[in-house]
Amino acid sequence: MSFINDARKMLRENIREYGMFIALFIIMAVFAITTDGLFISSRNLVNLVNQTGYIAVLAVGMTLVIVIRHIDLSVGFLAGFLGAVAAIAMVSWHLPVWVVIPMTLVFGILGGLISSFLVAQLGIPAFVATLAGWLGYRGGLQLVTISTGTIVIPDEAFNAIGNAFIPDIPDIGILSGIHKVTLFLGLLAIISFTSGEIISRRKMQKNHFEVLSTGMFTLKLVFVSVLIGGIAWILAGYQGLSWTAVVVLIVVIVYDFITTKTVLGRHIYAVGGNPEAAELSGISVKKITHVVFGSMGMLSALSGILYAARLRSATTVAGTLFELDAIAAAFVGGVSAAGGVGKVMGSLIGALVMTSLTSGMNLMGIDISYQYIVRATVLATAVIFDVTTRKTGK
Amino acid sequence: MKQAAENTPVVEMRNIKKSFGAVQALCGVDLVLHHNEVLGLVGDNAAGKSTLMKVLSGAYIPDGGDIFIEGEKAHLSNPLDARRLGIEMVYQDYALANNLDVAANVFMGREVVRIKLGPIGVMDYRHMEQETQSLLSRLKIDIPSVRQKVERLSGGQRQAVAIARATAFDAKVIIMDEPTAALSVSAIDKVLELVRELKAQGSSIIVISHRLEDIYQVSDRMIVLRQGRKVSDTSVEGDIHEFRERVVAYMIGARDDFTEKTVA
Repeated sequence: MSFINDARKMLRENIREYGMFIALFIIMAVFAITTDGLFISSRNLVNLVNQTGYIAVLAVGMTLVIVIRHIDLSVGFLAGFLGAVAAIAMVSWHLPVWVVIPMTLVFGILGGLISSFLVAQLGIPAFVATLAGWLGYRGGLQLVTISTGTIVIPDEAFNAIGNAFIPDIPDIGILSGIHKVTLFLGLLAIISFTSGEIISRRKMQKNHFEVLSTGMFTLKLVFVSVLIGGIAWILAGYQGLSWTAVVVLIVVIVYDFITTKTVLGRHIYAVGGNPEAAELSGISVKKITHVVFGSMGMLSALSGILYAARLRSATTVAGTLFELDAIAAAFVGGVSAAGGVGKVMGSLIGALVMTSLTSGMNLMGIDISYQYIVRATVLATAVIFDVTTRKTGK
Repeated sequence: MKQAAENTPVVEMRNIKKSFGAVQALCGVDLVLHHNEVLGLVGDNAAGKSTLMKVLSGAYIPDGGDIFIEGEKAHLSNPLDARRLGIEMVYQDYALANNLDVAANVFMGREVVRIKLGPIGVMDYRHMEQETQSLLSRLKIDIPSVRQKVERLSGGQRQAVAIARATAFDAKVIIMDEPTAALSVSAIDKVLELVRELKAQGSSIIVISHRLEDIYQVSDRMIVLRQGRKVSDTSVEGDIHEFRERVVAYMIGARDDFTEKTVA
């Protein structure tokens, strides 16, 4: 009985956090049923992850931009433009891929800093400043591709980022046909998550902080372990973990660490919560704005690289509407439009929700016009959910 | 030695002048705050009390005059300078980040770092939470958990957090700007109790308030400003009604103890 009460209490107190996991779970279950399991087939899920990649990295950066009460509309065409720049650097300038990728990321940071200069230094509203960026980078993209049209990228190492999978150990007799390194990484993730949770729970108990009851705690560990294990198993059934997934995981882990554990992360949320108070406390709001937009620019470049690598080419329309997908993913993932609230992990889930909808409805053969309406409904529901749980969240 | 140090005022402001365009907000104000003293600062709107405190907290740079902190001449060009010298201001609107928890607000801008990796510092959560907890218990502030988000606290609790934050880092002077303005009656009593607790623990405090009852209850001494000038500097004593009448007389200009002083 107390276990059910615990479960209720935990759900009520954390509904905002668990809401999107539940939503993702429901969406996947519905599509699994309506497509006779095709949706959760290894091949489709691997594809889904690769499609989510370039939106997910943008959504991670956008989370921080919205947390500090700004917006960045320029990211889509910045990604497209820098994807084309990377292609030109390889094709026309004959630069090696290990130079091109860092160079593109640096260009991205510069692009972000141009936005933050307008926003922080000149006080131009981010909406306007980055709308100018949207126009400018769109022009830039068309300009650099004007003579060639689509630029085909011949570099296999570059294209691998968007298409290839991490290598596996040679067949050792057991589990043949299954990607063993992926399974091993999944196992490693489960072990590190579980041990980390147990250690932090012990620490909290030692300091007399309230912790989950043993039953709920075990349930949480089992749930997450099964989830990670299940995903690893399904991915391993096809070709294993893609390089795109690796890149996204690294970005999410690094950003999650920075936002939750470091002084920089704390300052970003402080600026989002109350910029005047942050400034009076000695936090430089300008500096935080530069850092956040700079990181957004870098992630735009990364998104552009992932997209160009996936298509093995830079197209004249690359990046179109990426910014709106990223913003939608962030809001679905629990970022609040009022600022100060939103988690990196949430935006990843939000991006997965949005791509799952597209992928699932495509498999079901639903007309694109209905797809937009469904996605609109999901976005609106997410924001309504956010607003209402905030009001009653006493 | 100790006696001598305690006889030096914590804060001495001499002949502070500040004008905004044609408006002279402060026309040469002197202010002294002694150790372990609560000083009430009273005046009508636009009397210059907030301006004077913003000068002391580094938010405004005065046009003229000197500031001495424990006898040492101080140059305050921004709030951070003042803070480094141990001058803490509690703002009227609390200046808290509502999306963060109590411990995060107390340590905002002064986070304790466990490991430093270049520009990235990893925070020591446990240390900050324990410090906050002991700070709150020392000041007898009743908040269920230091992990509570500020947006879930009442107005009185928020003010208590704001005051606790000001005292967290060995402040020499705590300036409170209208600490009771936005609070309910029961919350006001709690805040005034907190001011008395701080004094009992040795703090030196300046309280700006419109509410003369508050000043009467917690202050040792009171300065009245009127049109940018100090018109009264007396200890708080006597009956509350008599006190109120006296203060109001100064505030509206019916009485003035410093008329001989020429206004520049």
